[in-house]
Amino acid sequence: MTTLRTLFVSVLLVTLAACSASNVATRQDNDDGTYQTVLHSNNAMLKGRINVVDLKQRNVGDLMQVQATLENGWKFELDFQYKFKWFDANGFELAPEGQSWRQLVMAGRTQANVQAIAPNPTAVKYEIWVRE
Amino acid sequence: MLRLLSMMMLAATVALAGCASKVDYGDATARETVTTDFGSTDLQMIAAKMVDDMLVFPPVVQMTSSRRPVAFVDTIKNKTTEHIDTESITDTIQSKLINSGKFRFVDMTVVERVRKQLDYQANSGMVDEATAVAMGRQVGAEFMLYGNMSSIVKRDSSTKDVYYKFTLKLMNLQTGIIEWSGEKEIRKTRSKSLFGI
Repeated sequence: MTTLRTLFVSVLLVTLAACSASNVATRQDNDDGTYQTVLHSNNAMLKGRINVVDLKQRNVGDLMQVQATLENGWKFELDFQYKFKWFDANGFELAPEGQSWRQLVMAGRTQANVQAIAPNPTAVKYEIWVRE
Repeated sequence: MLRLLSMMMLAATVALAGCASKVDYGDATARETVTTDFGSTDLQMIAAKMVDDMLVFPPVVQMTSSRRPVAFVDTIKNKTTEHIDTESITDTIQSKLINSGKFRFVDMTVVERVRKQLDYQANSGMVDEATAVAMGRQVGAEFMLYGNMSSIVKRDSSTKDVYYKFTLKLMNLQTGIIEWSGEKEIRKTRSKSLFGI
């Protein structure tokens, strides 16, 4: 009985931890002008399902605009939230409470583009956070 | 029998104690789906989309490349059947635009209070003339932000579907031309299901 209860609590904790964790995507620019997307994941359930297949950025005026192409690698519909976080040259997050989680529903094995504009011209770095 | 009754009463007390409500802080930026009525997530989605759209529109980018135009926010007409504080939406939009460094705003809602303060400074005899703010020096707005909020509600025995549409326009006061117009559509659905499946 004790073993069963321990097992139940362990499974519950793991599930809850998975539900509350987020995935983070950042872009790393190489010296030759190419870049790669790096997905930081501490959510076992989302890790195998959401992929960032492309990250594009450009300057509109002096504001950074980012477009991320997300792919649902799972065969079923995925309902999750994403959020952009922006950082200045010193690593300070810009408008930390001004960015809200946006919902995205993706059909199985599809791609979707999500875009965002930096809150002000001091943004030089961004992260995309994903959670359930 | 008495022992059984005591245990039942104890169990009932524990269960009722568990029914006590709890208050806690939540994440203000998290998705809220309590009802299909207009909510905080809708407000945040609308403000984010309107500001993003406006700031990347090429004529607006050109207009704001070397200076910060002055605008003011007129009313957003609420054409829905709900009570929606549309000023709250425009406050958020205004904050984001000011903080982007691309626009400046004048506030038409405080005109009388400002007039009262300037009158006090100029005429009450209590303010040092050298420090008093001179009347007639305010900057005139060049643009006006205004719009509409409408909804379409449909329901049957098991489903309620609410569609919101928010429209915002930026008008050049001198020429009367609408320099930019943006729209955000939101759909919220409530459906009843058996056993919550």
